[in-house]
Amino acid sequence: MATLLEKPVTVAKDHYLLKIKADKSGSLPGQFINIKAGEGFDPLLRRPFSIFNAHEDVLDVVIRVIGKGTSLISRMEPGFIDIVGPTGKGFTMENDKNLLLVGGGVGNAPLLYLMRALKENGNRLTYIYCARSSDYIFLEDEYRKYADELIITTDDGSAGIKGFATDVMSHVISDGKFDRVYTCGPDPMMHRVVKLVHENVPVEVSVENYFGCGVGLCVGCTVDTVDGYRRACVDGPVFDGRKILWENMPR
Amino acid sequence: MNSEIKIGGLTLKNPITVASGTAGYGEELSGYMDISKIGAIFTKGLSLEPRKGNAGNRIIETPAGVLNSIGLENVGLEKFLNEKLPFIKKSGAVAIPNIAGHSIEENIELCRILSETDGIDAVELNVSCPNVKQGGIAFGTDLDIFSDLLRKARKVTKCALIVKLSPNVTDVTSFAVAAEREGVDAISAINTFLGMKINTRTRRPHFNNKVAGLSGPAIKPMALRIVYQVCSRVKIPVIGLGGISNFEDILEFLMAGATAISIGTMNMIDPAVSEKMVAELERYMNEEKIESIYEIIGSAQDK
Repeated sequence: MATLLEKPVTVAKDHYLLKIKADKSGSLPGQFINIKAGEGFDPLLRRPFSIFNAHEDVLDVVIRVIGKGTSLISRMEPGFIDIVGPTGKGFTMENDKNLLLVGGGVGNAPLLYLMRALKENGNRLTYIYCARSSDYIFLEDEYRKYADELIITTDDGSAGIKGFATDVMSHVISDGKFDRVYTCGPDPMMHRVVKLVHENVPVEVSVENYFGCGVGLCVGCTVDTVDGYRRACVDGPVFDGRKILWENMPR
Repeated sequence: MNSEIKIGGLTLKNPITVASGTAGYGEELSGYMDISKIGAIFTKGLSLEPRKGNAGNRIIETPAGVLNSIGLENVGLEKFLNEKLPFIKKSGAVAIPNIAGHSIEENIELCRILSETDGIDAVELNVSCPNVKQGGIAFGTDLDIFSDLLRKARKVTKCALIVKLSPNVTDVTSFAVAAEREGVDAISAINTFLGMKINTRTRRPHFNNKVAGLSGPAIKPMALRIVYQVCSRVKIPVIGLGGISNFEDILEFLMAGATAISIGTMNMIDPAVSEKMVAELERYMNEEKIESIYEIIGSAQDK
């Protein structure tokens, strides 16, 4: 039985940090948990959230409030929390490499856990943190802790460089000096990152489409790929960005 | 205490099963529960060839329900027999394949091959999927096509034949009566109700197929009513399903006359729910001193 250790803390506009003690240790960067919001049937389905950080059996999760379910979760009291997971396929690990991470909005969350693991493996890390405005940037110090270079971009210029990272940082993203690129954020952003990355450099994306069960049963969260449909929840959420047929992503 | 139930020549260890389309091929559930503990697993609707399913949005939540438009994505017969079925058999669980062919011919071919397969003692013919353009619901909403399909399927099916009915007709009982007349061994009632969602931002239907199938607790009272009506009209066993979310719901369906029940959407919220319900049933039968599950089946029907 999992426990919410403290009340969710506001970390940015509409964003909350949850600290959850799971009933077992073990999770990988890129994996996620499914949280039940409230006790009744509305909302009915669990909500999937990627892991922001983990220490043994304590999982940190950053959620963005977008509707009734996430709003209920953001107002939970400490104590019992109904979770399934961690589950899903995580990111590919690297050792002693030059790596680029590009996060957009709440999509920055799984990349912190990834970045920490990559740093422990002796990689050199460049991180591009994209947000709508300065209000939406969460836990910046955590990102500074692991990134060798942290570049912030905001749509309105209220923090860092003004503009979409895929426009104003396109020269960095397309730089062939990186051995691998990781990205998580809105589909249009990830699609542009994938197109920008040098063709010899592998690029991994973590998709965040609408899930049904989150455990592989319902086949509702499929992503169209060059190998056919794949379930985001169990075959992903991390995919080779070049295998996704982006034009077929549900809107 | 005996919780065994019979469907045609097949005996299930208890009446709690998981519904096609919400249980994958058993393997996905096995990470969360012991799949040999439940009565049977109705596997994902099968076609001869692999099917990709519908493009675009496939699922969305509604108040106490789920709308889906998966479109019968499945691995196809060959992969099912070579990779999926062996896992279920090895786990000691009972697989009941759900058959969802495009045409009468494809359905009959699937009935023939699967019913001759070692380790398959029942098949469920899906004539009620609302999410595919060809076949599917067309077989389940026209009484003449329905009867013709069942007559042909019955001839070639060597094991128990179950037919899954659509609720999207004026009178479900007339289809149940026709199924019994054609020699079907059992009826699953019911599949999803047709529903819809419009995206107010794009001003278009949420699903490419426009309509979708509604399941979950929201449909339970309607499903229970249909099961009660069907059970009052036919003698063959009925597998009741539609929005079952807890043990109380299971008792209601059994008392309405269902010989077995399927848990569907709730597997998506708690993938171990069916095993928990088996334990609940055991506790209930002990507490209520019920010797055989048949003591409560149909108790709510007029004698």
